[in-house]
Amino acid sequence: MEAAASALEREHVHRVYDKIAPYFNDSRYKAWPKVRQFLLDQQPGSLVADVGCGNGKYLGINKKVVILGCDVCCPLVAYASSQGHEVQVCDGLHLPYRDGVFDAVLSIAVIHHLSTMERRVRAIREMARCLRDGGRIMIYVWALEQKYRKFEKQDIFVPWNPDPPLAQRPMRDGAQSVGADAHTGSDAHRKARSTSSVAEARRQKSPRLWFFSRSLDSVFDFGSLSVSHSSSRELSVSVATPAVGMVSRGRGLMRQVSSFFSPSALSASLEEDVFEELSDLQGDQQEGGRRETARDVPSPPPPAAAIMAKYGSLPLPDMVPASKGGGEESGSGSGEQGGGESPEEEEEEEEEEGGGLALSGASCLRYYHVFREGELAELIEKHVEELHVITSYFDHANWCVVAEKIQVWKI
Amino acid sequence: MKLLTHNMLTSHVKGVTKGYPLLIKATEVKVNEVEFNSQFVSRMIPKLEWSALVQAAEGLGHLEDLSAELVADYENNEEFLKKVHKVLLEVEVVEGSLQCPESGREFPISRGVPNMLLNEDEV
Repeated sequence: MEAAASALEREHVHRVYDKIAPYFNDSRYKAWPKVRQFLLDQQPGSLVADVGCGNGKYLGINKKVVILGCDVCCPLVAYASSQGHEVQVCDGLHLPYRDGVFDAVLSIAVIHHLSTMERRVRAIREMARCLRDGGRIMIYVWALEQKYRKFEKQDIFVPWNPDPPLAQRPMRDGAQSVGADAHTGSDAHRKARSTSSVAEARRQKSPRLWFFSRSLDSVFDFGSLSVSHSSSRELSVSVATPAVGMVSRGRGLMRQVSSFFSPSALSASLEEDVFEELSDLQGDQQEGGRRETARDVPSPPPPAAAIMAKYGSLPLPDMVPASKGGGEESGSGSGEQGGGESPEEEEEEEEEEGGGLALSGASCLRYYHVFREGELAELIEKHVEELHVITSYFDHANWCVVAEKIQVWKI
Repeated sequence: MKLLTHNMLTSHVKGVTKGYPLLIKATEVKVNEVEFNSQFVSRMIPKLEWSALVQAAEGLGHLEDLSAELVADYENNEEFLKKVHKVLLEVEVVEGSLQCPESGREFPISRGVPNMLLNEDEV
């Protein structure tokens, strides 16, 4: 299972982030307010770790503490380093820090990328190891229960930028010509985006795509795997039957299992980033409106740089379609997931990372295990005795826990 | 990589019990100017493995006369704190590697960033 889990993560987390990194590291992205506050609450002179720091957006918030960032994604770490932060490349399951050195640790939107419960627990334990007694950890993970909808399953693949079923994207080309260079991101560029209503209309028509899967945990619990086919409008379908412990790379994916249309609904962002103006958007039900309010959108790359991603991808051993008509068609909301029919649009937390990039969605599926209510706290309470949950809450589509490192006395 | 960071890093190769401190093999080092805050430095000191810091600084030729033993009552010793400040926060290894003292495995440092990823056979 370990090999399958790490292969899945390599394909559907690490490689995707490597690809989207150039479009992800926009320094204009802001931090979640409560995370920001957690950082600001630290005593001056504290030592803090941001495990899974990505582009480093939390690293500069509190200048009175020493904060070390680490991430498995080299390009993102390189970017964070270029901003003057102390960062390392490493893997969350094997942190390169000695025991008990940190006063505080952040794990913001990271462990939901681990594909088995055991690995998620290990990641939390690794971070706990590096915390001093009395030190605190703040963990954010994506929630199953979203503001307007609920995912049907907890283990999902979210397309980075899927081809819409209608397979035309006039908007993208238009957008490309509008945008300035992603990294210089100018105000002019922003204005150009926000006045685009065509994209908005477009996005309202196109479906959101999710891919559901059974979790690797459940797959390997059963002795035999059920294999199912599903026809797809666009993607070829194939199912691989893995040998126990090994998943071979295949060329197809199970097609998405549920789609729905989301007209004007506020896309509660699952993305870890939030803009400072978010409070202005609280009542704003328009995706378009949200888009307009300062969502800085890096422009898509010039066509010449568009990458035609290989279609190959790692199929999960058992990807079954979720029930059709899962009621998600209500159109009342998009869970924001989603690849987005208008890839160049940014407000979806996914798209934020690089809308417009011409990567075929299939090869840029990010794996997530979305957490149900109470799951994260329960995971810690049951499996991480060295952490004691202090508080647990829901924040902008994330389940959040703050826990304290305690001394465990063994009798 | 600053020496403050180095002080926290350890080798985590499977089976290694004495992976700390990592030996610095630097091919490029630079010294930046960082604003001095005595209270800040003073708060950092208790978190450090002092001998590892001294060893690392010495290896880079930036010992700054730091004593092998931690000075008593350092909180009020501005001169001492300034030396610590320089070693901890201003000296930076840009290129080189960190070597596990037990296994010999080297972790590269490139553009100031250590890559601590292990290979599959090392976990």
